[in-house]
Amino acid sequence: MKRKDFILHLIGEISSYILQGEPMRMVISLHQEEDGMHLAILDDNNHTDEEVVKIEKALNSRKRPELAGYYGAMTGHDLLGSSQLDLLGWQIKFADVGRTDSGIKIDLWLGGKKFESDRFNIPEDV
Amino acid sequence: MEKQNTVILVFLIVVMLAFIGTGLIADGPGAAVQGFLKLQIQPGRLINDFIAVAGVGGTLINAALAGAVGLIFIIILKIQLSGPTFAAIFTIMGFGFFGKTPLNIIPIIIGVGLAAKFAGKTFREYIIIALFGTALGPLVSLIVFEFGFTGILGIPVGIAGGILTGFLLPAIAVSMLHLHQGYNLYNMGLSCGFFALFVASLVRAAGHQFENIMVWYSGDSVVLFWMVPVLSVSLIIVGLIAGGKKSLKEVLEIQKLPGRLPSDFMDLVSLEGSLINSGLIGLAGFLYVYFVGGDFNGPILGGLLTIMGFGAFGTHLKNSWPIVLGVVLSTLVFGKGLSSPGPLLAALFGTTLAPIAGQFGIVTGITAGFIHLFMVLQTGAWQGGMNLYNNGFAGGLTAALIVAVIQWRNTNKKD
Repeated sequence: MKRKDFILHLIGEISSYILQGEPMRMVISLHQEEDGMHLAILDDNNHTDEEVVKIEKALNSRKRPELAGYYGAMTGHDLLGSSQLDLLGWQIKFADVGRTDSGIKIDLWLGGKKFESDRFNIPEDV
Repeated sequence: MEKQNTVILVFLIVVMLAFIGTGLIADGPGAAVQGFLKLQIQPGRLINDFIAVAGVGGTLINAALAGAVGLIFIIILKIQLSGPTFAAIFTIMGFGFFGKTPLNIIPIIIGVGLAAKFAGKTFREYIIIALFGTALGPLVSLIVFEFGFTGILGIPVGIAGGILTGFLLPAIAVSMLHLHQGYNLYNMGLSCGFFALFVASLVRAAGHQFENIMVWYSGDSVVLFWMVPVLSVSLIIVGLIAGGKKSLKEVLEIQKLPGRLPSDFMDLVSLEGSLINSGLIGLAGFLYVYFVGGDFNGPILGGLLTIMGFGAFGTHLKNSWPIVLGVVLSTLVFGKGLSSPGPLLAALFGTTLAPIAGQFGIVTGITAGFIHLFMVLQTGAWQGGMNLYNNGFAGGLTAALIVAVIQWRNTNKKD
């Protein structure tokens, strides 16, 4: 899959999840390097602690190559039902979910072994 | 995860050894081995009940060894055993009762492996496609034994046909997922059925006519009757021993999930809850067959083993009963018998549509089951019986229709 398509599907799946909560504001930030990328999504919705833990758990689920290579193709193609964050979790390197003043910020890190995620960040005050 | 892998691996190996041991005892070692060998040269197109062909012993050995082939690939590729792989091995073993043999599934698996290499992926990424893609095993047997090749020429041609088939499956499988959005659990049934349509048309165009096959064992066998209850109770006991009281709570948690692909209940809830759920599904299926007066033969046991496997990967009692009810209603409306082969298999395998009931509710589930029955009674002939997951094919078409309608409604209705 071309990198552009892959990014589109990732953004599609994660933004589908955020939009289910009908936020008034959603910000998507993408930072790419040769070996990896950082995708950040912010919203202004209320999320319970339980939901935040659930999101983090799904996004940091153990790597499942046998599922990612096949069912991972469904990422970002969701037209019905709820989005499936574990599809994303199988394909990314690391995810972090934190609270902002008005909602949450989801950071997704993707890349190969050489990818140094600490080189990527977005300002804390965004 | 290590515990999960060990528990499933030991359980599967014990089941396979039990099948082989029971097979050797049931018919005697000589007859059982002879029966097994006979199956290797048997065309396995639908419906070809191996028990009627080779007896209980040979069939049990065949089912165990077909499952072992899948398990060996999983072990070689160092894949953790989980819901989908558990479902795949149970399904392969189940269809080892009516269509799959160790020999006719290997070329398909190799073909999928080559496709992975061609696409720049690892074989591990396509292993689920490879395992479920063995639904087209009878295509290999068809080429070798039914095309009239003289001498041993049929063997290399059959192997090449199987490899080519496997090579094309990943491309089809991914597209089919998008068609039904994960609401047909046996996606490879739809994918293989789609592919088999083209092959069947080609074969017919070349002048070959598919003979209708209906080999259906109707005799009584203590082994066949008690196999699923014993296996189901074993799963429940293993789940209870491994998880204690909390595993019962986990079974209830599983009932709340829609079951849409890919729902690995072992990951989403727990190993123990999933094993108990599989056991419950097996018992429920067994009781259904018993009460409608169905035969306990190869295809029925294949159906029961398959739904038990998917008890860890999408199917549970709550999302299944509306589908079964829909199939029952459809059977009665169209004047068929509940214990007839088609409707009975549809009631079991129709649970491929369970996620529709799980996501969209009881009425939609019943509707899906209703449509599924009259579809599945036609689709087998369309694809020449080469795709063993005929219910997955019909289920995929049904799911695609329902998903299209719901999607259209959701798109056009005002918020």
